[in-house]
Amino acid sequence: MKEIVDEVERWREAGEKVVVATVVATRRSAPRPVGTSLAVSESGKMCGSVSGGCVESDVYENAKEVLATGVPKLLTYGITDDLAWSVGLPCGGEIDVFVEAVE
Amino acid sequence: MSLVARLAALRASQDRGVLFTVIEGDGVGAKLLVLESGEQVGGGVPAEAADQFHELVRRGRNRLLAVEGARVFAEWYGPPPRVFVYGAVDTAEALCRGVKLLGWTAIVADARAAFLTPERIPSADRLIAKWPQEALDEIEPDHQTAIVVLTHDDKFDEPALIGALATEAFYVGALGSRRNQERRRGRLLEAGVAEEQLGRISGPCGLDLGADTQQETALSILAEILAVRAGRSGGLLREAKQRIHAEVE
Repeated sequence: MKEIVDEVERWREAGEKVVVATVVATRRSAPRPVGTSLAVSESGKMCGSVSGGCVESDVYENAKEVLATGVPKLLTYGITDDLAWSVGLPCGGEIDVFVEAVE
Repeated sequence: MSLVARLAALRASQDRGVLFTVIEGDGVGAKLLVLESGEQVGGGVPAEAADQFHELVRRGRNRLLAVEGARVFAEWYGPPPRVFVYGAVDTAEALCRGVKLLGWTAIVADARAAFLTPERIPSADRLIAKWPQEALDEIEPDHQTAIVVLTHDDKFDEPALIGALATEAFYVGALGSRRNQERRRGRLLEAGVAEEQLGRISGPCGLDLGADTQQETALSILAEILAVRAGRSGGLLREAKQRIHAEVE
């Protein structure tokens, strides 16, 4: 979250709820190192990334759900047969993404 | 102050700290920020994870910890690595430009104040017009500091290298031909530097890229600094057997 913490703090100061999704584990090849984060605000603002763009849309949907429920989620993305043509990592790696509301 | 506000302040101050987050298991979502000063914000993180603070803060990388009944993500906060260059020569400016590209901090020192001007080295974050030991005392190199000695002049290079070897800098490099390295080695031994300490000096510094210009030399040195920091030897990725990215677990 380090790289986007200033932006997240600005959003929070403006009174918005914010959810942060962070890459917490990578296996084999992965587009971003662990600790890389994507933040989504209540009003739909976004900053940062968790991949080269391959899984952002799905993370965004999950972030909106966490915004509503406040319950954190741990997601795993990789290439599987049924996912290969939808959401996945073309580099063949796998990543775990932790999605949480920030207080 | 909220945790996020504290993290933003921490990032601005560049003090070192670790943010622990339970991502799986008991108390999922709990957060604890631990600072080097001993300050703590938050809680609910297993002691088995928080106890690894000193090792984590020193290692300077994010890491996922598996502890009894939980997985805890540890995010490292702290200043970017520093490159300290002794010798305000042309290569110093090229090196500083590369250091800034990495988002690191560039410091150049030289006792010859006439060489050490912002016009000659505009990319340095800091210029220090002092003799080697005094300059080293001022910046206090740590395990996140690389030192490169560039003067080609024994009266500066030798005290700079002796001083550098007395620090825990992760990289100590020196320019100079192989013949000069051999001669300098003899002189440093005479000056009382231990044989095993001499092994820490990358000299001539840089990867074997066939570098010719100042810029190419700077790139070659920075490439070696990155490789040393990641514990790699720096070869062709297509011939490498290990993971492409640095080990982060």
